Amino acid sequence: MWQKTRPYLLLLPAIGTIVLLFFGGLFDGLLKSLGYFPALGETRFEMTAYTNLFQSSEFWESLILTFRVAALSSVFAAVLGAAITVSLFMLKESSKSGASQVWHRLFQLPLTIPHLVGGYIIVLLFMQSGFLSKILASAGLIDEITDFPVLVNDPFGWGIILTYAWKEAPFVSLMIYPVLSRIHRSWRDVARVYGAGSWNFIREIVLPVMLPAWTIATFIVFVFTFSAFEVPFLLGVTYPSMLPVYSYQLYTSGTLADRPEALAVNIILAALTILLGLVVYYFSKRWNVLKGWD
Amino acid sequence: MSDLRIINIEKQYPQTKQQKDPAFSLQPVALTIKEGEFFSLLGPSGCGKTTLLKLVAGLMPADKGEIWVGDDHLTAVAPEARRFAMVFQQSLLFPHMTVEDNVAFGLKMQKIGKRERLADAQSMLEHVGLSGYGSRFPDELSGGQQQRVALARALVAKPRVLLMDEPFSALDPSLREEMRELLRGVQKEFHVTVLFVTHDREEAFYLSDRIGVMSEGKLLQIGKPKEIYEQPANVKVASFLGLKNIIEGRVINNRFVSNDQSFEVPVQTSIKTGPSVMIIRPETIRLVPDNIVKNLQCLYFRGVIQQKIFNHGFYSVKVQAGEYLLTCSFTSQEAENMKVGQTIDLMMNNGDLRFLNE
Repeated sequence: MWQKTRPYLLLLPAIGTIVLLFFGGLFDGLLKSLGYFPALGETRFEMTAYTNLFQSSEFWESLILTFRVAALSSVFAAVLGAAITVSLFMLKESSKSGASQVWHRLFQLPLTIPHLVGGYIIVLLFMQSGFLSKILASAGLIDEITDFPVLVNDPFGWGIILTYAWKEAPFVSLMIYPVLSRIHRSWRDVARVYGAGSWNFIREIVLPVMLPAWTIATFIVFVFTFSAFEVPFLLGVTYPSMLPVYSYQLYTSGTLADRPEALAVNIILAALTILLGLVVYYFSKRWNVLKGWD
Repeated sequence: MSDLRIINIEKQYPQTKQQKDPAFSLQPVALTIKEGEFFSLLGPSGCGKTTLLKLVAGLMPADKGEIWVGDDHLTAVAPEARRFAMVFQQSLLFPHMTVEDNVAFGLKMQKIGKRERLADAQSMLEHVGLSGYGSRFPDELSGGQQQRVALARALVAKPRVLLMDEPFSALDPSLREEMRELLRGVQKEFHVTVLFVTHDREEAFYLSDRIGVMSEGKLLQIGKPKEIYEQPANVKVASFLGLKNIIEGRVINNRFVSNDQSFEVPVQTSIKTGPSVMIIRPETIRLVPDNIVKNLQCLYFRGVIQQKIFNHGFYSVKVQAGEYLLTCSFTSQEAENMKVGQTIDLMMNNGDLRFLNE
């Protein structure tokens, strides 16, 4: 009996902490979003916060912006990450020197930099009075630094997208590179003998092999950017703001009456994330992406 | 005619710092393989067979020499444009593709339409005894079946030359025999030119029209299986072919005398005076029948049986004759009354002996 329960008991502190902090917080947020606020004497459950949100144009604009920024960031990060990985893989295949290792480490560098610092780097590089605009102005490519497009604190969210694309591409690369190491060295030879050039090899062998990990990595990036706070807070505009920032704005607006709405935004974010997860799972199953590997 | 011509091709591997021994080099190889011929490169591991195969496939650049198929000069042509096929030691099927898609891979690269290539793949799968397996994935097949798929993938693209790098070495013996039969059959049926690499003598002898024996980066002898077995060009070839009865001696006045002087045989004038070896094939040694009248065309000697082992339907008997321990091959009937320690009289035709200058 002791032997059987022992592992569970040993895991209990860790599981307890996770359940308390994660699910407890989520549950507390859910209750409060439904108007259950005993501190204010509100003990009834109602959907007012959700109806208010769904009726406000600010929420919908915020949701659209969040989707757009998250989708574009994930697509850019996914494409950039895959391009880095495939290049590193082909470099490793074709050269025997340690050059590919050096490049590999170099591309992983952004992983070590915190998101906030990444955001500042983008600000310093891409704002109108930033590094890039000054270089372009000095080179005579633009007349004034104000001719440089507004890429930071812009309503479209380019600054946020750039930050996440730069920061998450190495993450995508880190996720899919080990998967590519499953590619047998001789497969390249096999493919070549049967008439496949480099591009056909990538299309027929490399991409299908990395597709499952790629999908999952892109989804993680999407979910992360979808609910991330600090970079949109730093690089976004006040209106429209991304959902996590919108939630924060509501929560700190000074009136307690807005708090259920702020928490409802978080619950909607969590629900959308779970929904997207299910969609990705369904498609990855349907595409048979893992078939043959087990 | 689309013969495969390998003209003085050579390759020198770079010397690495860790290795003290000189780096491996493939000495110039000149070889013509006729269209539809089954040619085997036979040699021990590390002798350069696979290097030569990769040079022919174009997977490795040659330092010197040329590769031709018919009138096409292929030395500078990329492997993907050579229209060759290759079967490796492992099946190397792509795990994310079905068996059918694996077989049709070469055709897809040749931009043949889906319907046509899948039909061809199915028909080829039938030829290798795997009809109905098309929709499975490679991990659902046994090792032997995977290698059959690899063979089907190679043949379906109608290659100009089929290169095979010890394709059956990872299979167990019974499967290996089955695959040999299959390969022999399909090779004759499709009349495909095969360059086959192996270290397995039995396999090379069973399958090949001609064999090239390699050792230490050199192609030592090319010939039909019977020729190279009965007339090995040198001691290395003889010993690799399993001819263990190699007797050292000298040729003086057109007579070979063994170092211990227990054997003395007349030799042809083509054998030069000086250090030489005499090779005796085990199956040419016979027991001297009773009441025989000895003649000059045969070599007679006496030996003591040291060992008697039953081996695949015959007896392998080791006989001490002078300083030499000779391996003889006897039928069960001949070996029936033989005992270890017994002295026996043996003979062989002088014509079955092979002499080589050292």
